Amino acid sequence: MLSDIRVLDLGQDVSGPFCARLLADQGADVIKIEPCDGDPARRTGPFAGDEPHPEKSIRFLYLNTNKRSVTLDISRPAGRSLLHSLARWADVLVENFEPRLRSSLGLDDQSLMQVNPGLVVTSISSFGSSGPYSDWKATDLVTSAISGLMYHSGDADKEPLRSALSQSLYVAGINGASATLVALYHRLMNGNVGGRVDVSVAECMTAHLVQASASYAYTGGLRGRRPAHGAPLEELMPCQDGHAVVSAQGSRPFSDVADLLGIEELKGPAFATAEGRIMQGEALEQLILQGLARWKKNDLFHAANKKGLVFGMAQGPDDLYRCPHLSERQFFERVHHPVAGDAEYPCELVRLSEESFRTRRAAPLLGEHNSEVYQRVVGLSEDEIEQLRNSAVI
Amino acid sequence: MSDLPLKGLRVIDLSRVFAMPYAAAFLADLGAEVIKIEGCRFLGADTRLGGPFGGPWPDDVPGELHWERNGVFHVLNRGKRSVTLDLNQTAGVEALRKLLATSDVVIENFTPRVMRKFGLDYPNLRNIRSDIIMVSNTGYGHTGPFSNYGAMAAALEPTHGSGAFIGYEGGAPNKISNSYTDFLASWTALYSVMAALLYRARTGRGLWIDLAMYQVGAAFMGEGLLDYAFNGRVQRRMGNRHEAYAPHNSYPCRGKDRWVTIAVTDEHEWKALCSVIGSPELANDPRFVDAPARVEKRDTLDAIVAQWTSSLDHYAAAHTLQAAGVPAGPVLDARDVFTDPHLVARKFFDHVQHPPETGVGRRPQLGRPWRFSAFKVPTPAAGPRLGEANDYVFKEVLGLSETEVAAMAEQEIIGSAPVGTRVPNPVPAEEQLRLGRLAALDRNYRKRLGIE
Repeated sequence: MLSDIRVLDLGQDVSGPFCARLLADQGADVIKIEPCDGDPARRTGPFAGDEPHPEKSIRFLYLNTNKRSVTLDISRPAGRSLLHSLARWADVLVENFEPRLRSSLGLDDQSLMQVNPGLVVTSISSFGSSGPYSDWKATDLVTSAISGLMYHSGDADKEPLRSALSQSLYVAGINGASATLVALYHRLMNGNVGGRVDVSVAECMTAHLVQASASYAYTGGLRGRRPAHGAPLEELMPCQDGHAVVSAQGSRPFSDVADLLGIEELKGPAFATAEGRIMQGEALEQLILQGLARWKKNDLFHAANKKGLVFGMAQGPDDLYRCPHLSERQFFERVHHPVAGDAEYPCELVRLSEESFRTRRAAPLLGEHNSEVYQRVVGLSEDEIEQLRNSAVI
Repeated sequence: MSDLPLKGLRVIDLSRVFAMPYAAAFLADLGAEVIKIEGCRFLGADTRLGGPFGGPWPDDVPGELHWERNGVFHVLNRGKRSVTLDLNQTAGVEALRKLLATSDVVIENFTPRVMRKFGLDYPNLRNIRSDIIMVSNTGYGHTGPFSNYGAMAAALEPTHGSGAFIGYEGGAPNKISNSYTDFLASWTALYSVMAALLYRARTGRGLWIDLAMYQVGAAFMGEGLLDYAFNGRVQRRMGNRHEAYAPHNSYPCRGKDRWVTIAVTDEHEWKALCSVIGSPELANDPRFVDAPARVEKRDTLDAIVAQWTSSLDHYAAAHTLQAAGVPAGPVLDARDVFTDPHLVARKFFDHVQHPPETGVGRRPQLGRPWRFSAFKVPTPAAGPRLGEANDYVFKEVLGLSETEVAAMAEQEIIGSAPVGTRVPNPVPAEEQLRLGRLAALDRNYRKRLGIE
């Protein structure tokens, strides 16, 4: 969908690179600009085959498919000037440096808009470009905490629980991609005006607080974490071989849940309404546990869903790789990487009626496309490139 | 400042509940005319009536116009127009068909058979409007053996794998909760629609987006899945700890259920932390010489850090740590975020005035996590009253006469009040508090929010 869009990805680690990958996935021409020692994600484990190696970081391999890579030291004048040449070529520049570093890296509005007034500059940072926390240091744990989402995850009698797998940075990445596309659409409709897009990782997660924020703003009620007892519905509960989610949502009466679990008492009037199931939560929990003890998660999941009950189950990576549904939808795609080897990657986010998604290339090797990009895009000669190499600018 | 980017686009929002209404609300924020299609008999499926807890309605009072007073509905449907149509009547579907012919984007989250039944699935829709962009959001997508299964985020989240990675150390699978997967679907819809709009502008062609929440959720677990593919390993659940850094956790602070998070990621931050907590000698302690040693001794370290935090306010602890260059942040709850100085300075919340007859007044409402230098998003209009745009849409957009619109009302194809829906019977807040369904109840919330 985006085959006419050119992107410079100065992103590091997760949020910027995921943003740029989502643009690359839809056909954009993305050049990843790495420092000479590579995106820090290259040094982050786990690694393919558990061997620490800059071409084997699983995070890097996942977040940088469909991109080309060049190296460039943008902290030096010669590097800065090359960056600005590339910025003239590009429609979009994605970066996730700390906001205070932008000027020193030549990524301030003045420098970039001067070389290309139509450039969309997408800046993703922990707390955004303005406000009292804009210079605060953060990791996924810290942004999740300040966002307000983490308070609501986990058990009420324990500490708030962070999500795993850098979720706040992934959510910021997809928001960065959407906001970039909004700015590009604006540019199309309003005459080649680019500009800065300011994305806050923490705010992306705060935007998930629809229920909790409305509850407080309308009633003063503060939603918390899952109570230790008495909340068995729409939550993970142990079954014979793992965990399942029993739900009363959907169009079926609760007696269908009673029938499926084989617990006659669940048909009692106390459990017939949503209010009753909340008020009688502890009794309900005991009965549901009894019912679940007879079921394996996969059998229950299918039996319930076939009856129109919206149940879930706790699956792990092994289950997902074996899942016949994901397999039929070709969610996993075999990607060949010359150093890390072959693997089945989770690929397509959405299915389109045309322009269907395919992984066009594996994550690039560090600086793999230096010659190609600096010759064809910037127009340097082989000698000039050699000089830059010798002076360690690339 | 120039026009909003999506000005002049018409979006038809046929969706229910959470994920897709929220996505469409962002399109409205960005300038699109978003027309929400509601059914006077369909309301039970939407947020106007509230979830199992009921509401939230202002001060837990549903009131006579309860369907106009729901706070969750308001966030998810701000800035939209509302039209009612009974899609169980042929004339209702016919009116929808005419409206779709004038539209750029349609978003729906019915089970796959419903749009087919209306004759409005993508192949048919293209004949009505050749360049339309259609988003079909379901739990599992329109193809594959699970395609007819229903969906809700609470059941989907563990099904797409989050519980394998999320949980207390040594404990059972847990969840992010708060309808996490719904929001992943919202963001994915926004991303896909924007890409499709650019594609349409370039090629003149529309397309269909089959958005399966199961698949989207699994893609967000991608690093964990790929670790399994390469190494056959399932990363273990670590609570708030980190496999490569320590200290990295949440620590108790002064007050009930107050916590601060601290994440030490390098030697510089480690030394700074030791100074801040008044134990500079720890920086030279051989037990904690480098990150792997600290990870191994994380229980000891966490106890030392917790001793320092436990007498401090959660904000104060974070400010002290950040001033010394240590990544740290308070765990904010939904009360804190409204008054958080950073979010206030960034004007994150919209302050929305509701129509006087609803008695809702002015309420702060979640805004957007992005800002643009090229244009400014104004405060959106309040979530619409049921059927408020019937006249506009049927007369001005579709050109029907006064008599024809009156006939539609007569046949209950359109309306402005729910028909045959239950009167909400919320679980009282005090009961919810007793049952642990509420963490706290702050009856002074209006004062704190400045909406007295």
